[in-house]
Amino acid sequence: MNKTLNRRDFIKTTSAATIGVATVASGITLTTFASANKVPVTNEKRWGMLIDTNKLTEADIDGMVSACQQEQGWGSEVHSTGAQRPDWIKKLKVKDKATGKISNLALMCQHCEEPPCVDVCPTNASMKREDGIVLVDKHLCIGCRYCMMACPYDARSFVHETLSNQKEHMPRGKGTVEACTMCVHKVDKGEAPACVVSVNSDAVIFGDLYDASSQISQTLKTVQSTQIRADLNLNTGVRYSGI
Amino acid sequence: MNRLLVVFLSLLVGSVFAHTNEHANLGKQASSIKASGKVFHQSISIIRRMHPEFLHHKRDKTLRQGVRTDEYSLKGCVSCHANKNKTNNQYHSVDKKGQFCSDCHQQVGVSLDCFSCHRTTPKEGFL
Amino acid sequence: MSNIRFEQIEGKSLGFYVLVAGLGILVLAALGSMYYMEHHGHFVTGMSNRIVWGMPHVFALFLIVAASGALNVASISSVFGKKIYKPLSRLSGLVALSLLAGGLMVLVLDLGRPDRLIVAMTEYNFKSIFAWNIILYNGFFVIVAIYLWMMFERRMNKFSQKLGMVAFVWRLVLTTGTGSIFGLLVARHTYDAMIMAPKFVVMSFSFGLAFYLLILMASYKWTDRKLGDIIVNRLANLLGVFVAAVLYFAIVFHLGNIYLAENNNVEMILFSMDSIYTNLFWYGQIILGSIVPLILIYHPATKGNRSILGLASMLVIIGGFIQMYVLIIGGQAYPLEMFPGKEILEGYGGIVSYTPSLPEIILGVGGIALALIAVTFLIKFLPFLPESLADEVSNPHHKS
Repeated sequence: MNKTLNRRDFIKTTSAATIGVATVASGITLTTFASANKVPVTNEKRWGMLIDTNKLTEADIDGMVSACQQEQGWGSEVHSTGAQRPDWIKKLKVKDKATGKISNLALMCQHCEEPPCVDVCPTNASMKREDGIVLVDKHLCIGCRYCMMACPYDARSFVHETLSNQKEHMPRGKGTVEACTMCVHKVDKGEAPACVVSVNSDAVIFGDLYDASSQISQTLKTVQSTQIRADLNLNTGVRYSGI
Repeated sequence: MNRLLVVFLSLLVGSVFAHTNEHANLGKQASSIKASGKVFHQSISIIRRMHPEFLHHKRDKTLRQGVRTDEYSLKGCVSCHANKNKTNNQYHSVDKKGQFCSDCHQQVGVSLDCFSCHRTTPKEGFL
Repeated sequence: MSNIRFEQIEGKSLGFYVLVAGLGILVLAALGSMYYMEHHGHFVTGMSNRIVWGMPHVFALFLIVAASGALNVASISSVFGKKIYKPLSRLSGLVALSLLAGGLMVLVLDLGRPDRLIVAMTEYNFKSIFAWNIILYNGFFVIVAIYLWMMFERRMNKFSQKLGMVAFVWRLVLTTGTGSIFGLLVARHTYDAMIMAPKFVVMSFSFGLAFYLLILMASYKWTDRKLGDIIVNRLANLLGVFVAAVLYFAIVFHLGNIYLAENNNVEMILFSMDSIYTNLFWYGQIILGSIVPLILIYHPATKGNRSILGLASMLVIIGGFIQMYVLIIGGQAYPLEMFPGKEILEGYGGIVSYTPSLPEIILGVGGIALALIAVTFLIKFLPFLPESLADEVSNPHHKS
């Protein structure tokens, strides 16, 4: 008989084999994640975004929306009607009733520190990573849509039809809920989210809110900024200035 | 009753091994690795038996903790084990009838739920 | 009370089979609709990312709320010691379980991934009110089933009253939990108020009793058993009180919202003439579902008339359903108040429209059919109904 099954050993041996192949047959598949994150993320970081509506043009917002669609592969659903189609990031035009000031802004998942969607999810599918990014674990999502009822920002979408040809890094499927992931697959590689990259000015800043020397922390210290629905005390990761 | 259960379970487990080492649809990349004589999976029987566990473990680490390594990545499985259609040079979906994943899963009668969300072919532009 | 004899119904008449076949077809149609919706995805429904809970949820929550209310008849006997209700207890438990089963069927089959129901049973987030509700529903099944068994099993009879108490507390918690699904949604002005919980409890009293009365009267009429006026009139009076209480809660809830300035806009949905929810609220919920039944139940000219009481119960059910519709759909139709003091010019807002698709409605009706078919079958196979509820049987001191 073979020796008894010891899972740890297998992981070790198989990983040795993996590395072996990666070196001998490099260029095939396995060297793609050069700077891949090998350790769990921690709560020493908190990712956030600051959107300056005074600097952000309408064209910028359109660019952000299409960058998101391109990166994550949503928006080309054929059967869904307008209100059924996914809407990870939307362009809003708001007018102050008293002053008449008009601001344009991009609205997506606000990556709350106290996310109502996570509280209400019966199966723990709605979750927040240690570094503050709020995600849907589609392996556990049963499609009850309670998180969509609970979200104060209308940030989540339900997939209303069968999908195919998804992006490799962004599994999406019928009957589950989805939303902005803050491009977690890029962030884990040390890159910025697609929407942030698409804007040429510093109208959108992405960074670590806990790092006092980061550009986002420095800017937040000097400019007036707000959270949408600040009254709910959700401590959002996405902040706005100029509204 | 217990004896029946034992018989049933051994048949179930046995069916995983009943498969020969030859696989008609091993996949483009996997076939060429095999042809070159290199060993990717240390033990075929282990990967056959344990791959759901490995993938399950990996998925939680990646999604919840942001650990993004190549090991047991479903992307890796798909990019190696997908076949190409010879005529139009397009990849077949691994979950389509007769392809690598579905072929075996159908034979042992176990449904798989990966591809209701995950991409079924290697990423765009992958040769 | 020892002279109460419970007996199965015969269940061999043509009418019985027609009823079972008809309900069976409705259940099958619901399963077909579910397959159609799940196969294609929810794009074939009227639901969207704005109206995320549609017609199936209206049916499901309506049935679940009614289920806990249907148990009240048994509770009145076991908790409040009213002997006259004792013969009615078995049916009360049965109707409660059946309505809950119907409601849960609709709720589960409307999930995006009903195939993953096992996940909902194994992965619990104890912060989630939904997860609590799953536990509460399962517990309700177990407790009421044991309660019924204790009523059936002579040796266990002596414990049934105690368990009836447990069941009563459990059902109050359950309805509070169901109400809290909405009451604790801080994001939405249309729901966020803990009055939702007592409001749901009172609604359950009314809808559950209306279902119970209809089932009781129908089964006695169709099986030619005697059903005396004493019991029916008591239940009718009780229904009147419950309907009035629901109306009271509706008034308090909306007046409260109107008084709070921040909710002014939200309440406009009930007064703006161009909204369907305005009409449903006033004509459906208030007039058809509350005022008319109250008149039918209490007006001297109609009081005591069985058919009229049946009609009133029917109206309570229809009005209650409309109330649920206004609450669930209307509450979502109104946009979230994201920017207080600001007006959203583009990109979001406006009252969204919702047109339920046929499969959604069929699925919901199937839930009611499932509940009724369960009652119909079980009263045939187990002695749920006293063979007579004539006045001299139900109340020995009655002088006729």
